[in-house]
Amino acid sequence: MSPCDFNRRQFLKYTGAAGAATMAATFSMDDVAQAASVTPLPVGTPILVIVTLYGGNDGLNTVVPYLDPDYLSNRPGMSLDASQVLPDLGSGSDNIVLALNGTMTGFQSLWAANKLAIVLGTSYPNPNLSHFSSMAIWQTGSPVEEISSGWIGRYLDGLPHDPFRAIGIDSTLTPLLAGNNRVGSMVPISGLQVPYGSLGTQLKLFAKSSHQDAALVADAAGSIADFYALSSTLTPVLKNAPPTSASPLAQQLDVVANMITANVPTRVYSVSLSGFDTHADELSQQNVLVGQLSDAVTAFLTQVGTTPRANDVVVMVYSEFGRRVAANGGQGTDHGTSAPVFVAGNRVAGGFYGEQPSLATADLNQGDLLVHVDFREVYASMLEDVLGTDAGKILNNWSKKLPLIKAAA
Amino acid sequence: MTAASDRLELSRLVHRFGFGPKPGEYLQLLAGGIPQARAKVLARRFDHGLNALVTPPFPNMGQMPIHNPTANAAYWQEVYTQSLSLSVWWLDRMVLADYPFIERMTWFWHGHWATSINKVTYALPMKIQNETLRTHALGNFVDMSRAMVKDGALIYWLDGEQNVAYSPNENLGREFMELFTLGVGNYSQTDVHQAALGLSGYNVDQPSGTVTFDPKNHDNTPVSVLGKRQVFHADSLSDWIVSRPENAKFIARRLWFRFISTTVEPPASLAKVFEQRDISLLINAIARNPAMRRPQYSQAKSPVEWFVSASRALRVTPSRLPESVGLTWLLSSMGQFPFNPPSVGGWPYDEAWLTAAAIPYRVGLANNLVQYGDLAPLTSVPKSKIVQAAADWLGVAQWSTRTERALNQSVSDPKQLALLALNAPEYLVNA
Repeated sequence: MSPCDFNRRQFLKYTGAAGAATMAATFSMDDVAQAASVTPLPVGTPILVIVTLYGGNDGLNTVVPYLDPDYLSNRPGMSLDASQVLPDLGSGSDNIVLALNGTMTGFQSLWAANKLAIVLGTSYPNPNLSHFSSMAIWQTGSPVEEISSGWIGRYLDGLPHDPFRAIGIDSTLTPLLAGNNRVGSMVPISGLQVPYGSLGTQLKLFAKSSHQDAALVADAAGSIADFYALSSTLTPVLKNAPPTSASPLAQQLDVVANMITANVPTRVYSVSLSGFDTHADELSQQNVLVGQLSDAVTAFLTQVGTTPRANDVVVMVYSEFGRRVAANGGQGTDHGTSAPVFVAGNRVAGGFYGEQPSLATADLNQGDLLVHVDFREVYASMLEDVLGTDAGKILNNWSKKLPLIKAAA
Repeated sequence: MTAASDRLELSRLVHRFGFGPKPGEYLQLLAGGIPQARAKVLARRFDHGLNALVTPPFPNMGQMPIHNPTANAAYWQEVYTQSLSLSVWWLDRMVLADYPFIERMTWFWHGHWATSINKVTYALPMKIQNETLRTHALGNFVDMSRAMVKDGALIYWLDGEQNVAYSPNENLGREFMELFTLGVGNYSQTDVHQAALGLSGYNVDQPSGTVTFDPKNHDNTPVSVLGKRQVFHADSLSDWIVSRPENAKFIARRLWFRFISTTVEPPASLAKVFEQRDISLLINAIARNPAMRRPQYSQAKSPVEWFVSASRALRVTPSRLPESVGLTWLLSSMGQFPFNPPSVGGWPYDEAWLTAAAIPYRVGLANNLVQYGDLAPLTSVPKSKIVQAAADWLGVAQWSTRTERALNQSVSDPKQLALLALNAPEYLVNA
């Protein structure tokens, strides 16, 4: 492990699942309350699923300019050749031929069905090469000013309190979902079980507000009410745990698919996959990870594709940065700048957006790719054309967007 | 009969200016009256509680061994172990202290100069920063600011070691003005750029946090910051910025925000108290403000504040808890772990801590703590008085009828009563 491998998910993993056993003793899947009467999400309401790739995914070995002599010369021993990529996707406005990493057959089928948008060269002005800082920039949606609220959190800020509206599949709060006065809910893959027996019933008594409560005390009681509401709705929905043999992302998306199918009133889901910080021996690791990404997203879209919500779901995939054009000495790559963002779903107008950054030395900025699309253009499209809200209010008056989402039929 | 407002004010004094009462302390302080209680809470004495503190060594780890996978793995394992034991060491301090005011202030300043070991990686520089914050926690802000602008962990955290005259990095200069000293809107982008030049040339040895100054990489031409033109260095730049009147307003607001209210602005007179940049004067004025007795100024406890107050009540020492308690995992899952703030902006506050997702972890951690805790304050009283005894034990001003009703169901089971009381809305929030 190198210092660069530290991120929140791994930090938690490393700090030990020792507590998990003791938790299991207190919380039970069997102690299911009656499913609460939650208003189901009407069919036809768009749903955004955000996939975060932690560690900085190498865009050049994901959407690969495999014929570009500069790509080959920059990456001796770790460039992908024609046999390691899928059939050409074509080229964007820049005439650089691109093909998907050979493991991404699922994305290839989405592309063929015109359901996959690839936004090339995406980042923000003056890219920051720190995992921590750059991920904060993407998650707050604020490249210029350092702020603490997440962009989806600010979407929640403008709406009445509802614990179901935005849900992250993880145990700790994703900064993405933290607003100034609203916070999305986090649901671990295992669900949110209430405590056993009398502890569970007595704790539930705290959910009631009291006229004696100060405002924040009432909020504390409200969070307990939210917990029981989420648990009683989600526990039956998540009764069939995803197979542990599946990749972590596939497991999370399985949970999301079950919730969507059950008409849980959630507009935004957040899931993630870690391990993209490929400073060494990149080829073997990254091929596996982008393969998992492609398989999990495609299986997820196939699963919801058989339901009445087939046309509702939009998946957006991003990472905090791409990687340096030139390989380093360890058959890996160091932190870089722009990379492709993926947007997938039946509602998506498939194809290339933005421009593939040139790999010619003269076109690089200190060895890094130029930025052609500001990620806020993608966010604005998601906010306005998926979530139906004014992007400017959430993105500090940013309004430029991309035509990624087709108008409703 | 004690007035309800006395119970409220004392509850705020012990929870906000300390980390909650030790067993028996709340009633004892209440009996002496508020002025005496306030003096005790704000006192700085030799702390016998800290006699039990064990400080592990945090050696300089040096650079990573090259080309040796086995040594490499052991090295990172040790780095990681140190970072965890540093956090637990600080939690121990907060829990063991008889006079926790200084720890509470250090905790505030950690959130103010928020630096994360997530990037700094090594325990030693974070420990040095922690000691610096403790040294100046109640001192003069001019000295604190000078010390922090040359703090290795802070410089590394904000890319200051990449800030050289020919290629300035503005991160440290910007955050210094925006988040640490002046607040947004009190400087221009030009000031940021020129301040960065004033701070150029300071190098950090990451594993040790040692800072060295390299005059070759420092900009030795006069620059103009906030209207003053000269050749700046770290000290002179810090002094000039901190001397601005905006600094007094900004720091007064930051303390008010964390100790009194995140929604109500402080009185304008508060900044005047900070004219000499005397932190002790300012925080004492805040602790004496009439807002302390008014109901609307409630604040949520952060996970660390909740955990430390529960541990003090239960007389458990974090470092002595068995691994099966899952302390680091559960506290991190609740969203807060010392030395690991989410960003340079510090920790969230109030509503952000009152989430449904935190509940299973908080209940789970409380459940594990109660197994190792001393429940004498509850087991030594008759059942008919146990619910009120729980409020007195934990320093809760008053249970609502809702909470009383829930707790009344566990009067025969002190362990469960404790577990519920620690998860009651009136304990999660300092009313």
